[in-house]
Amino acid sequence: MDLERKPGEAPSKSEICSYFDPSDGTLDRRVFADQALYDLELKNIYARAWNFMCHESQIPNTGDYFITYIGEDQVIVVRDKQGDVQVLLNTCRHRGNALCRAEQGNAKSFVCSYHGWNYDLNGDLIGVPGLSSYYRKDFDKSQWGLAKAAQVDHLHGFYFATLDPETPPLYDYLGEVGRIGLGMLVANGPVEVVNGVQKNVIDCNWKIAVDNLFDWYHVQYSHASAGNSGILDIAAILHPNNQMVMFGEYGHAISGPVIPPERQAEIDAMSDEERFAVTVAKMTEDPNRLPQPLRMSFAKDMLGPTGVRCMGHPNIFPNLWVSTGGTQLSLRLPRGPFETEIWWFTVLPKAMPEEMKKKQVAFITHLFGPAGLLEQDDGENWSQSTRASRGVGSRGYRHHLAMGLGHDEVLYDERGAARVETAISEHAQRWLYTNWMNWLSADSWAEIKANHPALPKGRV
Amino acid sequence: MSQARAAQAETPGLDGLSLRQRMELQFEIEQFLYAEAAMIDGREYRAWLDLWTDDCSYWMPIRRTVTLSDIEREFTKPGDMSFYDDNKNSLAMRVAKMESGSAWSEDPPSRTRHIVANVRILGITGNETTVEVAFMLYRSRLNTEENMWVGRRVDRIRRVGDDLKLCGREIYLDQTLIRATNLSTLF
Repeated sequence: MDLERKPGEAPSKSEICSYFDPSDGTLDRRVFADQALYDLELKNIYARAWNFMCHESQIPNTGDYFITYIGEDQVIVVRDKQGDVQVLLNTCRHRGNALCRAEQGNAKSFVCSYHGWNYDLNGDLIGVPGLSSYYRKDFDKSQWGLAKAAQVDHLHGFYFATLDPETPPLYDYLGEVGRIGLGMLVANGPVEVVNGVQKNVIDCNWKIAVDNLFDWYHVQYSHASAGNSGILDIAAILHPNNQMVMFGEYGHAISGPVIPPERQAEIDAMSDEERFAVTVAKMTEDPNRLPQPLRMSFAKDMLGPTGVRCMGHPNIFPNLWVSTGGTQLSLRLPRGPFETEIWWFTVLPKAMPEEMKKKQVAFITHLFGPAGLLEQDDGENWSQSTRASRGVGSRGYRHHLAMGLGHDEVLYDERGAARVETAISEHAQRWLYTNWMNWLSADSWAEIKANHPALPKGRV
Repeated sequence: MSQARAAQAETPGLDGLSLRQRMELQFEIEQFLYAEAAMIDGREYRAWLDLWTDDCSYWMPIRRTVTLSDIEREFTKPGDMSFYDDNKNSLAMRVAKMESGSAWSEDPPSRTRHIVANVRILGITGNETTVEVAFMLYRSRLNTEENMWVGRRVDRIRRVGDDLKLCGREIYLDQTLIRATNLSTLF
């Protein structure tokens, strides 16, 4: 039961496949506290997956850039002179220094502060001091442009990048469930990101921060004090017996409340004007609380008959959470096995009336982010769970993620989306860790595709 | 003339006061701010809440690492995202949360110490005095977690009858990425 590997040695495939047991829902705690395993996650998961970069509205003009990460590779996401979005590794090809040391901004080109190598916005090396005098012209600039992501693409203006040329196209990678997740963000029309990304660091393993977003079990207890504060009616948002879990290929999933079919039929019968009027009326009822706007009628075509009813939390594998009914995105960025950066992006419809935008921004700020009345209570749970994965005694005891196992029937809609409609459960967490093992044990995209878990059928 | 000297010379509302009056005001403001800090550190949250006027605002923008050429974008602006964007109502929600008996991020409670220094009166308008302070907020949690938040605050203090009340606070942190599990303390 204890580690038999030498320090630094990567876990074998058979060891990886023992970490989570889908048949009894138990998880080996070592997955949260192992440097060699973490290094393998960076290589086999983060470098191969489509990683969320930013939204197009954050970099509207030529030279606008935003710094983010693919695993631990820092990247510059920049709009070049052709208007295309480039994803460049933020490291000079000469001696590796970071080109951009700011988090965001506007640049004409990227000049290295070490020796002055100068790169165009598309990554081409355009200037090298001393090219004739020191290098004696014996240097080919065209071979030393910035390293780039292998693929860059977007859906609804949300840009993603991957380091692997073999990764399937973004649309296919997202599949029905990933596309529903991003679609929830634009279910009230085209959006823009509100200025300001909240960032903080929690000393926890990234996977605990990810699997928690599926977890509607902790809400009533961890977040009880947010209910007492008056910002939320926990009972009213929880819908413990109206819950849905959707399963997506490669580990995407959605977990949380679902609009019952009868209620959805009532919404379907309303015009867009009527839906908007309901949202406005509910907003004025209680200024502290903000109801989720009813989705517009076009959203049903976009999200499908199941997605349009979805009020839960999608995770786009590995680490992008679509939150708060599609008004926020949260990244859980890995920083070693024991640290995770949490980033919050706020996404609002461009056409939303200013007064409503103001209320949304205030409500969201009071709810999430490190000072949020809800989120304050999460971090310590995760850091203490991570800490308790390090003790020789405690790490021998597997986590229990078996809630609802074997009690639900998988349903399919006409678009092929797989789901269970059930009570609060841990189906999504089981799906996450089952897929995570496949990613971690595969040596290539060919292997991920060949072995990835098929969407569940029958009883789960 | 240095910027600091210029600000001192042009302090609106202060020029008509004698040195003694200015010293008395400075003393009164400082004692008020020290007492306020002691209330938070002493976990007297309800009493602290009573120091705030009903129309108060409490705001901490997001600070970003930017180049000098983008320096006007260093802080987010009102209406943008922030860490705190509170009024009396939402400050009351924070206090209610801490009194609920289930605010796990503060139970066991954090140990905090607010150091308030460099108190400078920036101006007086009617019954309101605007004050800039440098602060250092130390937090110790459980046995191992330590946080240090340092920054600049701009407080607006209003004279209401015989009392002083807080009617506005802007908190400008000196760190960008928040190196802490949460911000469950009051600034």
